[in-house]
Amino acid sequence: MLTANVGRNRLGRARVPRARRPYVARLTHWGDTVRRRLSWTGAAVAAATVATVGLSGCGASGSGSGGDARGPITFASGKDLTGAMPQLLAQWNKLHPDQKVTFIELSASPDDQRNSFVQDLQARSGKYDVMWDDVVWTSEFAAHGWLAPLDKAQVGGPGVLPAAVDTATYKGTMYGAPFMTNSALLYYRSDLVPKPPTTWAELQADCAVAKAHHMDCYAGQFAQYEGLTVNAAEAITSAGGSFLSPDGTKVTVDSPQARAGLQHLVDMFRNGDIPKAALTYQEQESANAFLSGKTMFLANWPYVYTAASAADSKIKGKFGMAQLPGPNGPGKASLGGIDLGVSAFSKHKQTAKDFVAWMQSESSQKILVKVMNQASVLSKLYTDPELTKASPYLPTLQKAELTAVPRPKTPAYNAVSLAIQKDVYAALQGKVSVDGAIKNLAGDLQQAIQSN
Amino acid sequence: MSSRSSTTDEPPPLVAPAARRRAKAPAVRKGGDGRFAFWLVVPAMLVLTAVIGYPIVAALIRSLSSDTLGESPHFVGFGNYADALWGARSGQFWDSVEVTYLFAAITIVLETAIGLGMALVMNQAFRGRSLLRGVVLVPWAVPTAVAAVLWKWSFNPVGIINAVTGSHVVWTGADWPSRIAIIVADTWKTSPFIALLILAGLQVIPHDVYEAAELDGAGAFQRFRLITLPLVRPALLVAVLFRLLDALRMYDLPAILTHGANDTTTLSILVVQSTLSELKPGYGGALSTLTFLFIFVTAYAFVRLLGVDATEAHTRDSRKARS
Repeated sequence: MLTANVGRNRLGRARVPRARRPYVARLTHWGDTVRRRLSWTGAAVAAATVATVGLSGCGASGSGSGGDARGPITFASGKDLTGAMPQLLAQWNKLHPDQKVTFIELSASPDDQRNSFVQDLQARSGKYDVMWDDVVWTSEFAAHGWLAPLDKAQVGGPGVLPAAVDTATYKGTMYGAPFMTNSALLYYRSDLVPKPPTTWAELQADCAVAKAHHMDCYAGQFAQYEGLTVNAAEAITSAGGSFLSPDGTKVTVDSPQARAGLQHLVDMFRNGDIPKAALTYQEQESANAFLSGKTMFLANWPYVYTAASAADSKIKGKFGMAQLPGPNGPGKASLGGIDLGVSAFSKHKQTAKDFVAWMQSESSQKILVKVMNQASVLSKLYTDPELTKASPYLPTLQKAELTAVPRPKTPAYNAVSLAIQKDVYAALQGKVSVDGAIKNLAGDLQQAIQSN
Repeated sequence: MSSRSSTTDEPPPLVAPAARRRAKAPAVRKGGDGRFAFWLVVPAMLVLTAVIGYPIVAALIRSLSSDTLGESPHFVGFGNYADALWGARSGQFWDSVEVTYLFAAITIVLETAIGLGMALVMNQAFRGRSLLRGVVLVPWAVPTAVAAVLWKWSFNPVGIINAVTGSHVVWTGADWPSRIAIIVADTWKTSPFIALLILAGLQVIPHDVYEAAELDGAGAFQRFRLITLPLVRPALLVAVLFRLLDALRMYDLPAILTHGANDTTTLSILVVQSTLSELKPGYGGALSTLTFLFIFVTAYAFVRLLGVDATEAHTRDSRKARS
């Protein structure tokens, strides 16, 4: 009786009748024999075994083949926070009653979505015919042979933003249909700084205004996670640096430009323009810092617009959105977004290919912008008067997206991103000099792309 | 306490609770049919083999293969292990080992001390004791992930901890503050568990031993040091062993509080990162096997050095004390 007096009566009563039953007696006998044979050592093994079970994993990789037939398909996406996805899919189902699409809603967390996809793809089950892939997964999934190649004329035509097409391209072939795109913008307090800064020097000069108002000057995503890769990439590419060569086979980060980019962030941390607390900021924490009226500038995705312009917002009517600043004029944003990939193990690939093209069509993309409040991959929707009325930042966003740079394109993206997060974070904390961090990063990136 | 006064004259079996159960069994064991019992147990064993045995064996086999992209995994012997132990990724691996053992050592010491204190209080007879027992157990009942989120809010730069203490520490933004946050959360969460196990041990200590000691003129501290501690030691060691196994595979708290940033990447976090996020099941398998070995060796050493021998020695000692 391990728990003795705590619940003693309940346990005590339960034990007595049980022991009288013969079969249990036998059972107890057997178990008892085993237990006696089990030494403490055995117990330690057993306990340690159970402790590690949760940690073991297995998997296989490779590509398979499936028919090009038509028929019902599934479409798996991240959690549909807008509730509009079923509406969009219903339209397809009405047009194609014999090739219906079933909606599978996955977790809201991108990491969990990726795990679901990877598990299915490793098992080659083809449970997800069409997958909602974050732009940084496309290379990895394609390199594993998990995605069916798509026709560039169909899903990467001139009407689609070139940067978005680029994210879906691996070794010259398109493996995804750009569906949504995204890039960070600079939110600024228009009541305090009427004209947004376009260069880093102007940004730092404006920080004096923040100081005078006892506010923090600048916030972005600087916790050690994917958001830090995005922010670091923005600083480094704006200064003309890069992490990897365009084909992802060479490390190019060890350059004066990359040092200048990182130095900018480190300087802003050192002189307090970015508060120390920003080392814990993910998207939401940084947005809250701006929405509470305590921070003057915020780099974040366009979604913050909704909360900032809501009726009960503290900064309603007191903020504006501009392109991120750079060293000499507007900087380069990191490109986010979603590409729709067709599983290499899908049994109805032709339907799936038609479906991803249809999701990119103007009528579908209008629902995306109007109902889901996301940015389209079609250039012409950024100037559509009907849409700009609801989302006045669209023309600014388009400008940002025209110069936006995809994050490093490599099948080893996760290892690469983890290395960037680790080394940049150490520099922002002041634990490592900018020069040391860039050198470490060059070594870590080399290892990340080599070990594949 | 009525349960205590009913103790017989026989010296109670001063062994771990598990051993007590064993000692009771002979009364039940007559005409046992091992074969019948065996068949009853078979289904459970099959399920266990499928859900525990298979993944372990699969991970072991997979840990001997490569993770090269674009080709099917081929046999690389102990290459993945070498990589972790002294190869290209050894820095990361040993950092995790270090931080994992650091967490285990600090949290276990704190939790044992606090847990022992809680158990001693809960073992006293006073008004509202059952309420106290219930309240103390609340942190243990909260799922770790939920507790981690609560602590994450508390340790936010504008959270309650900084507000109450008037400090401006960015808790999850630097090495030691992050570690302290994790240690505090773990101690809060798990001390009740140790308290519970120790309380069970305290309750089998017969009251007459204390009475005898009191008659001999032993003060409260002497009674604690010479009677309570040696007699509760078996239960205490079991509790610490459980905690040791648990602490060495710590995952949820650092995963939620820091995502492994600021040198808080424990072995379990590293395993998950390599296997799921970097998609290197071979290397991840090697890491989980190594984690298993580390936990096993540590548990074995603990049991060898303290467990069995100590139990026997103290059974003798306590008999001497009673005579």
